[in-house]
Amino acid sequence: MPGDVISRFASVRLGTRGNQRKEQGFGQVNGHHGEILQGVFPDDAGRLHRGLVTLPCHIVSSTAVFRPAPGILVTVPDDKLKAAEAARLALDSLGLHDQGGHLTVESSIPVGLGMGSSTADVVAAIRAVADAHGAALAADEVARLAVRAETASDSIMHGDLAVLFAQREGIVLEHLGPALPPLEVLSVNTAPGALVDTVKQPPATYDDWEVQAFRPLRGMLRRAIRTGDAALLGRVATASARISQRHLPKPAFEEINAIAASTGALGIQVAHSGTVVGLLFDPRNPATARRVAEAAAKLDTIGLPPAFHFRTDAAEVRHVA
Amino acid sequence: MSLEMTMSQPLSRESRGFPDYELPRLVRLTDNLHGAAFFLMKLLPARHMLDRAAADGRLKPGGTICETTSGTFGLALAMLAAVRGYRLILVSDPAIDEHLHKRLLELGVTLEIVEKPYEVGGFQTARLDRLRAALEANPGSFCPSQYGNADNPRAYAEVAEQIAERLGHVDCLVGTVGSGGSMSGIARFLRHLNPDLHVIGVDTPNSVVFGQPDGKRLLRGLGNSLVPPNVDHRQFDEIHWVGAAEAFLATRRLHQHHALYQGGTSGAAYLVADWWARANPDRKVVTLFPDEGHRYVASIYNDDWLAALPGWTGVLPEAPQPVAHPSDVRPSWSSFRWDRRTLDEVLAAANPAARDLAEAA
Repeated sequence: MPGDVISRFASVRLGTRGNQRKEQGFGQVNGHHGEILQGVFPDDAGRLHRGLVTLPCHIVSSTAVFRPAPGILVTVPDDKLKAAEAARLALDSLGLHDQGGHLTVESSIPVGLGMGSSTADVVAAIRAVADAHGAALAADEVARLAVRAETASDSIMHGDLAVLFAQREGIVLEHLGPALPPLEVLSVNTAPGALVDTVKQPPATYDDWEVQAFRPLRGMLRRAIRTGDAALLGRVATASARISQRHLPKPAFEEINAIAASTGALGIQVAHSGTVVGLLFDPRNPATARRVAEAAAKLDTIGLPPAFHFRTDAAEVRHVA
Repeated sequence: MSLEMTMSQPLSRESRGFPDYELPRLVRLTDNLHGAAFFLMKLLPARHMLDRAAADGRLKPGGTICETTSGTFGLALAMLAAVRGYRLILVSDPAIDEHLHKRLLELGVTLEIVEKPYEVGGFQTARLDRLRAALEANPGSFCPSQYGNADNPRAYAEVAEQIAERLGHVDCLVGTVGSGGSMSGIARFLRHLNPDLHVIGVDTPNSVVFGQPDGKRLLRGLGNSLVPPNVDHRQFDEIHWVGAAEAFLATRRLHQHHALYQGGTSGAAYLVADWWARANPDRKVVTLFPDEGHRYVASIYNDDWLAALPGWTGVLPEAPQPVAHPSDVRPSWSSFRWDRRTLDEVLAAANPAARDLAEAA
């Protein structure tokens, strides 16, 4: 009924005026494990956009709490300034230009590995502000605010939805499907101790061949998602990792690749602006547990003992035995 | 040109084209053999080369394009020039197909026919000289140069995208080689997703592309009298040389058995791909059919014309004759393990047959 729509709309309006303001609002979002694919992609009009497809990782997350307070200041601990900026933008987008508050953010996402710690803080903060005022922001709106707060942002506000996301514009270039086919991921940090400033990195300058090469990767990704084919997903991820190797090379890349190939992995994926690499296995294959253990042992011999493995569709962390 | 510049290109008349005509229709011929049947394959590289030239200023709005061609690349350029408002000068020779000639004129092409071949270099050199003169007479004009322009093979990323999206994992790619654009382009893109992809190039006897001495060729649209820089020899695992008669007969088989009405190069590709697919029933094969059959009504699709061909037997060979060196190639279907080598590497390797002969002498 039209009346219902209007009244629901009105309640959000009331909320933004503060009538539904709570003592505090919560926001939470999961991190990720780098990307399946990252590059440049044409839109329907043929214009190129930088874009990526994130590999979800539910075992790490950021949580934010926002307590509305009089005055325009948003106060945070020192290392969460970007989250504070995002909270300010969220307040403004709700029409609350004269309001502020206090924000706290806690995160289990390691910093500097390319696992989305920065975007997760920002998205959790935006969600906490919205929640504190009884408003729910659509993922597209959260993405728009996140990009304004940090220039380039991951697609974690879209949850498990498989989207080709323009990380510098905050828009979805293509909805690929409800989720990626599930994967078992063995996580390796290729540069333990070294911090990559994942946000300050200059964007990759792809050559003319690479710009075109992303097309067949996107084509195979569409099929992988449509048919639930984890093996095709592994091929796409490996091909994207190879291109990334020319722009932000991972130490021991070829060795890791060889270990993946020799242990029956579907492929590897990388954090295109970080240090983590994932060896991808098919969780439906009964041999996977044994293969993961075998790959972990081999990685240990090249001085890169993996810390954990996880399923992309589960929140349970599994430690390498 | 920087990426950011590409991103901000506005849409305009210069971006008009035929997107739905550029990509092939994918047809499943047997359990493991898929054909990619093009309307006019050259539309895709022609459009991409013009796009790129327009984007970085080599080709101005309303500008002039000069090229030498007597085949379908000229037709593709003519179609694009007509809708994008470019002037097109094509240099050709008297061998140009009469109907194609009329069609090019209808599309507004300025056609320069070189009447006499040079004593040294034949029509090829005479045409290149005339092209150079046309470029000099039209300052600022753009020459796509399909044989050397790296945007030619790069254009085929869109075909690789279509194949990857529709067929997923592919084990073997088979196609004819002329400019090197389609096969070198698609092979490299697909191999990025599957390093084990088996790539078979189809050439024709008396073509120099894969190391044969130059000579007269009845089968057109593949092979060449020069080695185009766009041929990336290291993409090929196997090379086959298919003669005219068997290619035409295979073209008819493709129509009779699969109802695909394609040109002679499609027949050559089909012959080789069908043989490989039957020998490897658990491997997925895709092969390229570059153009349709309408231009060959009076020739390939005319029984009397076929029967009058030199060496016509009316029988299709079952399998190729393996050869040990490109110089051993005979007039009918032969095959050679190229093993992803360069042309120089292959030619430098001793010809076992020649060595045996030398030892016998």
